[in-house]
Amino acid sequence: MIEQVTIEGIIRILFVCVIITAAYIISTRNLLSVVSVYALQSLTLVCIALALYFLEGSVVLLAIAGVTFISKVIIIPYFIATIQEKIRIKRDIEFHYLSPTTSLLISMILMLVIYMALSRIVVGSPSRENLFFFGAVLGISLMLMGMMVTFSRKRAITKVLGFLSMENGVLLFGMFVTELPFIIEFLIIIDLIILVILTTILSVGIDSTLEDYHKRLHRFHLLDDSEEVI
Amino acid sequence: MILIAFVLVSVLSLVIIAFARNHRQMNSVCIGQALIFTTLTAYLVVFQQVPVVSFLIDSQYFFIDHLGLFEVLIATLIFTCAAVYARGYVEGLLKSGELEKGSLKLFYVAWTLLLLVIVLAFISDNLALFWIFAELTTIISAMLIAILSARENIDAAIKYIFVASVSMLFTFAGFIFLFEMSRVSLGTGTLNWTVLMQHATTFPPGMMIASFALVFIGLAAKSGIFPFHTWLPEAHAKAPSAVSAILSGVLLNVGIYGIIRMYAITHQSTAVVTIAPMLTVFGVLTIGIAALSMLPQKNLKKLVAFSSVENMGILLVGLAISTPVSVFWVLFHIMAHSFTKASLFFSSGILHRQYRSRFVSDAADEIKDVFRLQPLAAWGIILGGLAIIGMPPFPLFFSEFFILLQLGTVSLWVLAAMLLLLFISAVALGYFVLMNFTSVSEPEAQTDIEQYRTPASMKVPIIFLLVLLLVIGIFLPSGITGFINQIVTELNF
Repeated sequence: MIEQVTIEGIIRILFVCVIITAAYIISTRNLLSVVSVYALQSLTLVCIALALYFLEGSVVLLAIAGVTFISKVIIIPYFIATIQEKIRIKRDIEFHYLSPTTSLLISMILMLVIYMALSRIVVGSPSRENLFFFGAVLGISLMLMGMMVTFSRKRAITKVLGFLSMENGVLLFGMFVTELPFIIEFLIIIDLIILVILTTILSVGIDSTLEDYHKRLHRFHLLDDSEEVI
Repeated sequence: MILIAFVLVSVLSLVIIAFARNHRQMNSVCIGQALIFTTLTAYLVVFQQVPVVSFLIDSQYFFIDHLGLFEVLIATLIFTCAAVYARGYVEGLLKSGELEKGSLKLFYVAWTLLLLVIVLAFISDNLALFWIFAELTTIISAMLIAILSARENIDAAIKYIFVASVSMLFTFAGFIFLFEMSRVSLGTGTLNWTVLMQHATTFPPGMMIASFALVFIGLAAKSGIFPFHTWLPEAHAKAPSAVSAILSGVLLNVGIYGIIRMYAITHQSTAVVTIAPMLTVFGVLTIGIAALSMLPQKNLKKLVAFSSVENMGILLVGLAISTPVSVFWVLFHIMAHSFTKASLFFSSGILHRQYRSRFVSDAADEIKDVFRLQPLAAWGIILGGLAIIGMPPFPLFFSEFFILLQLGTVSLWVLAAMLLLLFISAVALGYFVLMNFTSVSEPEAQTDIEQYRTPASMKVPIIFLLVLLLVIGIFLPSGITGFINQIVTELNF
């Protein structure tokens, strides 16, 4: 058995990995690498869940790690990458309100704010170890950073990735704050997969260039060729 | 048993739709499904002891209490009307090529699933289960919006999905807080609404406030409350009118239903002193934004959609007062608003068909000779408009009047602000009707507008809903008031 201190150290390192991936998703312009970074982030979460399993020994964490690995490291990134190849968009250089640098600055401030807010809320409840508190802060920060991606990117397909990264935040938060029943986690994954499929199919319509638009929608049986929409 | 009946009927409808060959068959299936659902619900209301105890119901996952049953009844009634309405309306969409033949099956499959998922959401005891079903309603209804072959529909649907789903994730984080609180005070964590209700007094107020705030974000987005209302006018205006009626009349209720449940838990703890003013602020802001957006609005469906936003604000303010009387009228308002809004969207759907060629997405509606061409729809809009701004004898008059009366006992300033904003929104509706319905073209030009032959199936739901509203408003049936009273007692206000 590995020592507890070592595991806590590993988890701390993984936390740093999560922050780096989140920052990368916010700032990068290359779409394909956003997808792989998302897969990496999910993989980090899997590792965290495994580490927590060694720390606490609850089987639910093992199940969460398994489901997360299958769905978020393999299926969803693969699906999105396939769609991306189809619509042939490599770079996402349009940002709505925030440039990447401002987003990064804002997310740093957000983390501080969340840290302070949570430490005020959690004071009342019985002993929460330092590590778990950090996990919760990081979870919510990841959610907010994902939200910024969703609202600052213009392409629907990058918005989906922002949303997915938000969901990772919820998972992280859930893992560290409490032990959710496995069935709930599982249902969320199902919901996530449906949502990803739907939004990516819809975004095929939005993200492709106008000439390709009808052709592609037609391929997905969404639009008749005779309809002319500009 | 009843749960299995709901699921079985839907599965059966799906199978029949999969094999159906034409639009009429599919539509008949949907009408049938909605009718069976309504009958089942009515049976529950009349003959069963509520809260219903039977197989699978009253387990830790599902339960039926008065509030759930009330919402299910509203939902099934509106779905029945909308399905009947869709018979003529979708036919028109098909003819004009706005809806592709290939998407027809998808449309009805989504429709059937939506009804099932909404009913399941209302009867889930477990908050996480409710969350999942609420998410599914978002996804399925977004499909129904995106189904029309137009780019702006896909835009609206994507906006809807993102705003609603992103906010719903916050709701989930709120539920995690709630779960942790219950774990601390009960030993084992639970998200069962009934259990949480019993033990809410022991929850620490700080966590409770955080939890409510997070949950509120998502549910507010579902029900179109400021500042998360941005998706609503787009989605409701772009959707096919039969779907708009469902979105406004039923789906907004899902959000409000969740807020009521959550607020009932909060009401048990001391956190309510912080939460109630928060709700009031959001409510008044919502009404304000909606009223001011209605004023310059030239597009009928958008106008009606903003009026939904406004009514959600009224509901929030009513809830924030949190006296038994105000909660009673909030529930009454939910019912009356759903019926009125559905009938308004049905009427504007007819006008949309009539003046379709001139309706260019966001541009102003050009309505001419409306009384000659579509007298029923015109009167539907006028009567529905009178109902929605709260004129007697329509039921919304009573709910708004009593909510305002209750508000007067809390704060006169808020009351004054609300009165002013309600007046603005009423003026906006009246102005729109006056400007558009009075324009008559020259006698010699009259022939160049072809009259849209409104099928009877599109007229019947409007007449039915308006008559229903008048009956409720004039007689205030004691069955309804008694039923709502029981909900209020159950919610422990």
